[in-house]
Amino acid sequence: MKCYLRSLIMIVFCLFLISNPRSASAQAGDKNISNPFSQAKFVPDIALIVDFSAVGRDMKNKEYADLALPGLLRARSHGEHAGPNAKNGFNFNYAEMSLYSVVDPYFDLFAVFHLHQEGFEIEEAYINTRRLPLGFRAKAGKFLSSFGRINEQHAHYWDFADAPLVYRAFFGKENLNEIGARLTWLAPTSFYLMFGGEILAGENEASFGAEGFQDASGAHEIEDNEAPNLYVGYVKTSLEAKKFVALLGGSIAHGKTRVNDGVDQSFAENPQGFGEYGNTYLFGGDLTLKYLLGSYQYLSLQSEYVYRTMSGDRYDNSGGMTSLDKKQSGLYSQLVYRVSQRWRAGFRYDLLQKNMIKTGSATANLHENLPRYTAMLEYNPTEFSRIRLQYSHDRSGYLDEGASQKINNELILQFNITIGAHGAHSF
Amino acid sequence: MKRIILTILLLSISLPLYAEELRVATTYPYIASIVQQVGGDRVNVHALADGDWDPHVIVPKPSYIAKLRAADLLIMGGAQLEIGWLPPLMNQANNPKINVGSRGLLDLSRSVQLIEVPVGVSRAQGDIHPDGNPHFHLDPYNIPVLSKAIAERLAELEPAGASEYQINNRNFTEKWNRKLAEWNEKLEKLKGITVIEYHKNYDYFLLRYNIKLLGTVETLPGIPPTSKHIESLEKMITPGSVRFILQDVYHAEDASKFLAKKHGINIVKIPHDVGAVAEAKDIFTLFDEITRRLTNE
Repeated sequence: MKCYLRSLIMIVFCLFLISNPRSASAQAGDKNISNPFSQAKFVPDIALIVDFSAVGRDMKNKEYADLALPGLLRARSHGEHAGPNAKNGFNFNYAEMSLYSVVDPYFDLFAVFHLHQEGFEIEEAYINTRRLPLGFRAKAGKFLSSFGRINEQHAHYWDFADAPLVYRAFFGKENLNEIGARLTWLAPTSFYLMFGGEILAGENEASFGAEGFQDASGAHEIEDNEAPNLYVGYVKTSLEAKKFVALLGGSIAHGKTRVNDGVDQSFAENPQGFGEYGNTYLFGGDLTLKYLLGSYQYLSLQSEYVYRTMSGDRYDNSGGMTSLDKKQSGLYSQLVYRVSQRWRAGFRYDLLQKNMIKTGSATANLHENLPRYTAMLEYNPTEFSRIRLQYSHDRSGYLDEGASQKINNELILQFNITIGAHGAHSF
Repeated sequence: MKRIILTILLLSISLPLYAEELRVATTYPYIASIVQQVGGDRVNVHALADGDWDPHVIVPKPSYIAKLRAADLLIMGGAQLEIGWLPPLMNQANNPKINVGSRGLLDLSRSVQLIEVPVGVSRAQGDIHPDGNPHFHLDPYNIPVLSKAIAERLAELEPAGASEYQINNRNFTEKWNRKLAEWNEKLEKLKGITVIEYHKNYDYFLLRYNIKLLGTVETLPGIPPTSKHIESLEKMITPGSVRFILQDVYHAEDASKFLAKKHGINIVKIPHDVGAVAEAKDIFTLFDEITRRLTNE
């Protein structure tokens, strides 16, 4: 009873506060009343990018999720979510929220949150220095590596709805996105010449991985990695004329690889279980040629080649160990024509080229030289909205551990919409 | 001995830095032309963009980053005209001198009175500039205002040249005012006429010379013309009422040509910047050429 009474008094008091006509009118008319602690002007640049699509492909969702290429492509069903455009019919791919602001005279901060229907991921969150002299700039936090050309770009800026096959093969579904630090140096030359180095955690499961393992028999143990595991270096430069730009880049990445694919499970539980430990090097070369036909028209040819070599040991769950040697490569080349302010069309050729894996003295007979052909047509009502129709014919996928090839023909109608304060893109 | 070597070493590093002229980068060529007039031999100026591109959507090139890295001063138009292309280049230039908030960055829009400042801002209105119309340099009366701001900033960054910059600016302004009198006399006869423009590029110029604007060929800022929009524009055209369609050099002319042919209006291609047409070689010839094209002399 007492409790009710107290609530009643509170409610009456509140009503009195809101309804008191004198205090309300006095507030409305009084210019001396301010909000001295308002920080509204310090709100960072906030943008939201939403991506959804309608997909039609000539196979069931389950089959698509299980498509893999032994040695190179892991099935999409591996990992927490299958990635964008994974289902026939409607797909809500992501909502990407970005925040950017100058921190103080010394740092900038940039963060991108990747929101799915089921989860929240920090895709990037890093600081950049503002004041380093002599053309240096440092970056630290979680960020997309500058290895190659397309890796650092966010998905919404790509010319196609998905990443090139070679990127998915060597870096997985989310590209090379790591925790670490970067230092770039812009040479004091009259042309563009940039050098960069990154020290990264190296948790990327497709090529590196920091988590150790012990085989089920207990014969071998590979410890967790506790130091930086991945080192990336790159150089970028350009050649230019009034209407022509060529951008060239070379990249190298080196780190330790730790793969645990069931080596810690007993043979009875998983007869295929294995683990890998060794040294991996990735070499990348990229070339972008752009011919500017006017303010709204261009022709762009972008190509990248990535080569991966790994040497180390392969472990099985009964205590066996053999030497392991991998040499793999892939490339893509894409031609994009911006026809007018609103229309773009493009064609991309993907190739997973080399797939040589040698265990002991035996070379596995793995599938090689697998292409994918993709064509797209885009309508961009403004720079903030994009509607893209993409068709691809993909010959890289196999079911049943590489036993049967399953060609994927797919049609994607993609919508990519941006609101808010979104920064401009680089070349 | 050690000290001498050290001194020589230090000098050899620092000398070229101080002996060189002030390095200025500008976003657009018209700004570079004014800097050339005011700075003379004391400055080394480079424009990033070419004058015949759409100033809103300059395609960024990697060499712009190299120019920004070397700059002691970056001069921009401002009013968000460069927002679509300049920020990532500045971020990659690794040059603290030109950071936002540094004295090595000059935003010219802060020195002039901007027109068409929207009260409410929504992207439903197209590619809108929240600070107002950014094409202020096409009012010739604004040019001495800009040159003064530039001279002051140059003097601040290089006090040794202060008097020279001041004298150069005075000479430039005098010459400009003489030319202005010529242009005014020729443009006098345009007073009261009505025009259509493709984009709201020339509003400062139109306001200055009392030229009426019927509408724009593009539907909304940055949004290409639609047949529906052209129809509604046509409804406002009465025979003989519109003298010119002012067309910039970088947009497609189809819609303007359609209107011109149907209603007997002349299309005049107006350079918006130095380098937009071959005749516009510097800030003086830019306005000579605008005047010549509009008065047909």
